[in-house]
Amino acid sequence: MSSYLLLTVFLAIAIIFPLIPLALAWIWAHLFSPAKPGKDKQSIYECGIEATTPAHVQFQSHYYLYALVFLVFDVETVFLLPFAAAFLKLPVSAFLALMVFLLLLVEGLVWAWAKGILIWK
Amino acid sequence: MTSLLQSLMSESILVVTALLVLGLGVSLPKARPLITAITILGGFVAAAALLLFPLDGNFLHGMVVLDPLARIFKLVILGLTLVAVVLASESFPVNHFAESLALILFGTIGMMLLVGTEDLLMIFIALELTSIPLYILAAFDKESRSSAEAGLKYFLIGSISAAFLLYGLSLIYGVTGSTNLPEIARLSGAPDPLLIAGIVLTLAGFAFKVAAVPFQLWAPDVYEGAPTAAAALIASGSKVAGIFILAKLLTSGLGHWAGAAGWEQFLPGWAPVLALMSAASIMLGNITALAQSNVKRLLAYSAIAHGGYLLLGLCSATTDSLTAVLFYVVIYALTTAGAFGVVAIVEKQRGGSRLDDFNGLAKSSPVLALCLLVFFISLAGIPPLAGFFGKLYLFTSALANGQHLWLVIVAVAMNAVSLYYYLIVLKHAFVLIGPEDVRPANAPASQVLVAFLALAVLALGLAPNLLLTPLSKDKTTKVAALTTDHLP
Repeated sequence: MSSYLLLTVFLAIAIIFPLIPLALAWIWAHLFSPAKPGKDKQSIYECGIEATTPAHVQFQSHYYLYALVFLVFDVETVFLLPFAAAFLKLPVSAFLALMVFLLLLVEGLVWAWAKGILIWK
Repeated sequence: MTSLLQSLMSESILVVTALLVLGLGVSLPKARPLITAITILGGFVAAAALLLFPLDGNFLHGMVVLDPLARIFKLVILGLTLVAVVLASESFPVNHFAESLALILFGTIGMMLLVGTEDLLMIFIALELTSIPLYILAAFDKESRSSAEAGLKYFLIGSISAAFLLYGLSLIYGVTGSTNLPEIARLSGAPDPLLIAGIVLTLAGFAFKVAAVPFQLWAPDVYEGAPTAAAALIASGSKVAGIFILAKLLTSGLGHWAGAAGWEQFLPGWAPVLALMSAASIMLGNITALAQSNVKRLLAYSAIAHGGYLLLGLCSATTDSLTAVLFYVVIYALTTAGAFGVVAIVEKQRGGSRLDDFNGLAKSSPVLALCLLVFFISLAGIPPLAGFFGKLYLFTSALANGQHLWLVIVAVAMNAVSLYYYLIVLKHAFVLIGPEDVRPANAPASQVLVAFLALAVLALGLAPNLLLTPLSKDKTTKVAALTTDHLP
């Protein structure tokens, strides 16, 4: 049971640890800092520059599709590198298996291309 | 490597078919009958490969395990895929039709891998491979708000359940030091508290998949909102695969830690968890189904209740009750796939699946109404249909365990309640008078398939041995090899 005691201690520390700075900030705000609200102080903070438009704007979901297609080939590299390093020691079946894997990815790209996903609208 | 490819031959055929279908969808998007035909052909070739080149054995340290029982279930899953593919032309939108069929095939590959493995990691990967295509299929009707809602709910709840499952499996691995089920089973003795936590988390993950109370909230919305073919696959194929692998995990992996679930005699383990979820599912599913006005929603609550019956058999964990569970899940999947088939045709005819849309079905399409009668009476468990024998076998084998009398009493009492809502649907179809100007259904393939399913349900009710003998004769199979000596 002693191992669970240790876990309980960890849990207690994990809860107390973030509470301390929060409590300090609250105490500081209430005891020392003078309350002087103003237009600049209450505006939304965006990297220090004055906000010109509301934050809720739409942007193209195309970025997401590009990222997905990119990710596929990113992962492909991870598999191709060790394959290339051990190429001479591998049997024919491993070569075939990797070619099938590449075919799967390439067909995915061809499919996305034919569906017009790569055209920027 | 070659033997691994041989062991996964039918799955490989399905992958090739899916790629072919995707390619055709891009090059010939108008040729929907051709695409459907190729998908069905691929399914039949995969089934033929299973039948003609049966291969038993253990590949890659239990990642792929093939035995006669797994083969039966792969065939059943292929059959249920056939139903979904045929219904797809009734219920999926015309745009991106080939993609929907390819996704059905990808999901099927996941289910087939799930049935043929004995490794925790492979179980998780196969479950995800099953689930992700199903999430997409549930949201496939882009113009319907309820389909988008169904897809989102299914996706969110499914991913949370996957997280539960993965955490549970990692705890089991952490305690036992292996991801291989027979290796895990070699460990015995009093359960570590951490192992119990792992088992409970794993069960929570699976309970999402089979929609057991208290993890059932997604089921009604998904069944109602998803395109009917997708709902049919979620309700039948993924349930068969999920129950099969749950049975395998609990018996051949965690058999020592069953615990006990007798009345006022609970011992820690997975049996009491399953027993409580089973009782809650049976009660909530059957009682809530009484208030439904949409047939798909009603089928969802009925699915929750049937999930409860299946868990009842699982937690009894005798050789007989496990065979009964496997028998019942196949029967239930065939029946519910058929019921969704009828719903899909009626939906196409009349534009909805409310109870009122079934009014006068017996007059406008008598064969369809007869099939509906067969399916719903079988779900209610009335002889001579397959559902009756399945329930009889399930309940008697659960009683043989000796501890679960209370659970069987709950199940039988609630089964009487279920008769009411199944008969309500039949009342709308046979007694109430419908609109005069109903076009006859124009869906020949689906109608033939639904009629065939109804015949199968009738045949398995009259001669349950057709399925029961292959399920129980094979004593070498892992699930059947489990005996009560694992139980305290």
